[in-house]
Amino acid sequence: MRSSWFRPTCRSSAAAVAAVLALTSLAACGTSSSDDSGSGGGSKADISAPLDPKTKVTLTIDCMPPAAKAAELREWKEDVREFNKKYPNVTISGKSTPGQCEEPARFTAQLKAKSQPDVFYTYFTDLQQVLDNNGAADITAYVTPRTVPALDSIDGNVLGVLKKDGKLYGLPTSNYTMGLLINRKLFERAGLDPNKPPTTWEEVRTAAKKIAGLGNGISGYGEYSAENTGGWHFTAAMYGLGADVVSADGKKAAFNDATGKQVAQQLHDMRWKDDSMGKTQLLKWGDLQKQIASDKLGMFLAAPDDITYMVQQLGAEYENFGMGSIPGGRTTLFGGNDYMIKKGSSPDKIKAAIAWLNFKTLTPGKGQFQWDRTKADKLPVGLPQPNFFTGDTKAKDLASRTKNATMPVENFKPFLANTVPGKAEPPKAQEIYKVLDNVMSGVLTNRNADIDKLLATAEQQVNQVLANR
Amino acid sequence: MSAPTVSKSSPAPARAPHQLPVRRGSLARAVQRNLSAHGFLIGAVLCFSFFSWYPMVREFFLAFQKNKDGRTTWAGWSNLSYVFNDPAFWQAWRNTLLFTGLALVLGFAVPFLVAVLLNEFRHGQGYLRMLVYLPVMLPPVASVLLFKYFYDPGYGLFNRILGIFGIPDQQWLQSTSTAMISVVIAATWMNMGGATLIYLAALQGIPGELYEAAELDGAGLWRKIWHVTIPQTSLILSLMFLMQIIATMQVFTEPFLLTNGAGPEGSTMTVVYLIYQYAFNFNNYGGAAALGLVLLVLLAGFSAVYVRLSRTQED
Amino acid sequence: MATDTMRPRTLISPAQLGRRRGKVVYWCVFALVMVLFTLVFLGPMYWMVSGGLKTTQEFVKAPPTLVPTSVHPGNYGDAWRVMDLAKLLGNTLYYAFGALAFQLVLDVAAAYSLSKLRPLFGNVILGMMLATLMIPATVLVVPQYLTVLDVPVFERNLLNSPWVIWLPSVTNAFNIFLLKRFFDSIPQELLDAASIDGASALRTLRSVVLPISRPILGVVSIFAVVGVWKDFLWPMLTLPDPGKQTLNVGIYSLASGVPENWLIAALTIASLPTLILFLLFQRNIMSGLTAGGLKG
Repeated sequence: MRSSWFRPTCRSSAAAVAAVLALTSLAACGTSSSDDSGSGGGSKADISAPLDPKTKVTLTIDCMPPAAKAAELREWKEDVREFNKKYPNVTISGKSTPGQCEEPARFTAQLKAKSQPDVFYTYFTDLQQVLDNNGAADITAYVTPRTVPALDSIDGNVLGVLKKDGKLYGLPTSNYTMGLLINRKLFERAGLDPNKPPTTWEEVRTAAKKIAGLGNGISGYGEYSAENTGGWHFTAAMYGLGADVVSADGKKAAFNDATGKQVAQQLHDMRWKDDSMGKTQLLKWGDLQKQIASDKLGMFLAAPDDITYMVQQLGAEYENFGMGSIPGGRTTLFGGNDYMIKKGSSPDKIKAAIAWLNFKTLTPGKGQFQWDRTKADKLPVGLPQPNFFTGDTKAKDLASRTKNATMPVENFKPFLANTVPGKAEPPKAQEIYKVLDNVMSGVLTNRNADIDKLLATAEQQVNQVLANR
Repeated sequence: MSAPTVSKSSPAPARAPHQLPVRRGSLARAVQRNLSAHGFLIGAVLCFSFFSWYPMVREFFLAFQKNKDGRTTWAGWSNLSYVFNDPAFWQAWRNTLLFTGLALVLGFAVPFLVAVLLNEFRHGQGYLRMLVYLPVMLPPVASVLLFKYFYDPGYGLFNRILGIFGIPDQQWLQSTSTAMISVVIAATWMNMGGATLIYLAALQGIPGELYEAAELDGAGLWRKIWHVTIPQTSLILSLMFLMQIIATMQVFTEPFLLTNGAGPEGSTMTVVYLIYQYAFNFNNYGGAAALGLVLLVLLAGFSAVYVRLSRTQED
Repeated sequence: MATDTMRPRTLISPAQLGRRRGKVVYWCVFALVMVLFTLVFLGPMYWMVSGGLKTTQEFVKAPPTLVPTSVHPGNYGDAWRVMDLAKLLGNTLYYAFGALAFQLVLDVAAAYSLSKLRPLFGNVILGMMLATLMIPATVLVVPQYLTVLDVPVFERNLLNSPWVIWLPSVTNAFNIFLLKRFFDSIPQELLDAASIDGASALRTLRSVVLPISRPILGVVSIFAVVGVWKDFLWPMLTLPDPGKQTLNVGIYSLASGVPENWLIAALTIASLPTLILFLLFQRNIMSGLTAGGLKG
C-alpha cells in the first residue's frame, strides 16, 4: 500500500511536460459548454408557428423529479414518450434536483455562470435577476394561442409576473396563494374545531396556546427564520393584514410601521409570553413540514403543495391536514414557479421548449393536469394548486380534480371559500427576504429583542438594496 | 520502472557523459539550467497564476466595478461606501472579532493544554492522540450536523447532560448570547487535533535538563510551565497564534451549516459570510469584492508579522 | 508505547511520579482523561452510528435513548439509495484522487525545482506562493469563482467539470512548503553524484529524490485527499449539478428533505472512507504531522 503513494509520481514521468499538457488539455477536456445553440432548421420566417415536427432538437431541462419521487419520475418519462410521438426528433434531456428545484444562492451563482440548462426552473421572484444577467430569451412572439392553446385562459396576474416591459420571459408551471396549514389531529385533541381554522392573528394565538398546552414537545404555531423563508413569511403576514413591505414605487422599504411592529410583536409574544412556538428556531423550509407531519406542530403559514411534499417524502397522511385562509384575510401573497428559456437559444429550441412546456404543464387533461393518472399513481389530487386557469378551463379542470380527488377536499373549504385577493411578491424579493430573516430570528430567539431597532436596521438595509442599481 | 527511464533519457544526448568535460559558456549553461528548472515550475506557477494570483488582482478591480445588464462599468468608491454604510458590515466585524477571540481562548489554549497533559502520559498516548485527531478526518458536514443535533434545545444531548448536573436548559445556537460560543465549541472539537499534534511535537523537543534545573530552583508545576514550557515553545506558539487568526478570519462552513450563516439576529454572521451573501444572495459582486478587499488589507497586516516570524524561524 | 526508561524527561519529574502519591495521582488523572476523551471524541461517533439505527420518532424523542429500543439497519440502505450516496462517494473519490495526482506531479516538480534547481527568481516565486497562505481561500472566493467561469487565455468555463477542483488544488502552498523543506534536507552530494553520472534533473528527481521522500509524499498525499474531502464552499459553488456534487455538498442539499434517522445514517456512511484511511495510515499521518510539519 505504501508504495502506491510513490507510484503516481513515477508514472507521470515528464512532470514539467505534463504540467503544461494539463493546462492546455483544458481546451479539449470535458468542460461545461456554456452554449451550443446550433441554429437549426430554417423556420425562422414564422416564429409564432408551432414547431415543425421534423426538426431535430435536444433540450436540457432541470427540475425533473428525482429518483426519490418515483411516481412523479415515471409520469415524467411517460410524458416524454407521449410528447415524442408527436415530436419524435425532440430529445428531452432532464436533470433532476434532489432537494428543492431552486436554491436561491446557487441559482444566482448559476445565472452568473450562464450555466443554466436550455429550459430552466425559476421562482416568480427571479425575473429581475435573470434579466440582470441576460439569462432568459424573450418569448413573447413565440407564445400564441397556436402554440399554447390554453393561453387565453391563463390568469393575467400570473402571466404578468413573468413579463417585463410587456415582454414575456417565462411560462408558469405552478402557482399558489398562502394560507394557514393546520394539523387536524392536534386541533381535535386540543378541543378546537378543525373545520374552522383561525382567521385572525388573535385566534391563531389562542389556538396556538391551546395546542401547545398538549405538552410533549408539541408547539402550536411554527415560523421560519432562516434562508430567506423567514422574510418570505414575514411578508406573507404583512400582506394578510393588508400592508406592504415595499412602497408602491418600489424604492423604499415600507414595513417599519405599525403593522410591521404588530407582526413582530405578535410572534414575540407567542414565542416568549405564551411559549407556544417551540424552542427550536432558525428553521427553514422543510423543518416545519417535518414537525407537522410528525404531529409536533399545530399550524403554520404555507402553500397548499406542502401537503404533497409531506405525504410523498415524509410519510404523512392527507386526512390529517386542513387549510384556512391567511390570518387577517386582506390580501394574500401569491407566488409560484415557472420555466424560462435560456437567452441565445435558437428559434427551434425555443419552439421545442414551448411545445414541451405546453404539453407538460399548460394543457388541461394532459401532463400535470392528467388527474386520473395522478390518482392512479397515488399522488395527491384535490389541492388548489396549480391554480392559474380562469373561466371554463378552470371549471373543467376543477371538475376533473374533484372527481379524482384522493383527499378529503372539504378540508380545504375554509381556504377556498374565502377568496382573498392575491398580491405579488415585492421587487428584489429574495434580497428583502434575506434581510427580513433577521427580524424573524431576532424576535424568535431573543426574549429581549428590540423590535423597533430590528425593523429600523432592516429598513436601512432594504433601502440600500433597493437603491443599489 | 526501468523501461520508461531508458526511453526518456535517450532523447537527451546533450547531457551524455562524454560531453560534460567540454567547457561551455557559463551563460549558456546558466540559461539551460534555468530553462529546465523553470520547466519543472511551470505547471504549479500556471495554476497559481490562474487560480490564486490573478483572482487577487481581480478582487481589486472588481471592488471598483459595477455589473449592470451584463456590462461592466467603473463604480468608483460606490461599492466601498455601500459596504461601509451597511449596518451588517459592523455587525459582521464584531462577530468575526468575537469569533476570533473565542477561538483563540478555546482553539488555541485548549490544544496546548491537552498537548501538555498528553505529553506527561506514559501510557495510552497513541490512543489518545488518535482520539484527538479523529474529528479532523470527518467530513465537516457530518461533524457540524452532529453538533446541530446535540445543540437542539428540545431533544438535544447537551441539555440532557447539563440536566444531570442540575444546570438549566440552554438555547445554544438559538440565542444571540450563546450562538457564537456554540459555534466555536463545535469548531474547536472539529479542528483541535492538528494543533494538538504540532504542540506535542514541539513539547518533545524541550530538553529535559531545563525542567531539572527549574526543579533545583524549587519551581512548582505552574512555574515550570510558565518559565520552561511556554518560552521553549514560544516560537511555535506565536506561529500557531497567527495561523489561528488567519484561519478564523475566514470561517464559513461552521456558521453556515450550524446557523444557516446569519444565526439569531445575525449574531453568527461573519465577514466571509457577508461576502458570500453579497455575491450569491444579493447578486452584488462589486460589493462582495469591496468587502473582500477590506479583509484582504487587514490580513496583509497579519501576514507581515507572520512572514517576519517564519523568517526568524527559518534561520 | 515507549517504555518508561526510554522516555525523555518531561514536565513532571520521574522521581515525583515514582512516589506512591505521584503514582496515585498519575493513574487517577490518566483514567479520568481516558474516560473523558473517549466520551468526547468517540461518543459522538457512537451516537451517530446508533442514531442511524433508530426510528424517526425515537430519534427526536425528548430524552434521547442511549441504545436504540428497536434496531433498524434498513435506514442505512434507505439513505444509501435515496440520497444516491454511491454517486456522491464516487464523485468525491474522483475529485480527491485527481487532485492528488495533480498535486503530486506539479507540486513535487515545483518544490524540487525551488529546492534543488534554484532557478532565477525562484525565491520570488516561492515568496508569492507562500503569500497565498496568508490570504484565506474564502476571501478570494468571488474573484476565483468569476475566474473559473471564464478562465482567461483558454476561455473555458470550468463549472461542473472536475478541473474546477483539480487545478485550484495545485495552489497548495503549504504542501509545496513541506516538500521543499524536505528536499532541502537531502544532501547535495547525493544529487551531485547523480549528475556526474549524467542523469538529467528529471531522472535525478525520480531515482534519487523521490525514493527517499516517501514519508513526506505520504503526508502530502493525505493532506491533498483530505483537503478535497473536507472542502465545502468551493465545490458547493462550482459543482452545482446534482449529479456532480461532492459528499459534503450533496448531503447538505438533501438534509432538509429526508427524515432525521436517514440523514444520520448517511452521515455515518460519509464519515467511513476518511476514517478508514486515517486508521490505516494513522502512524504516517501522525509522524508526518509532527516531524514533517512545523518543527518546534
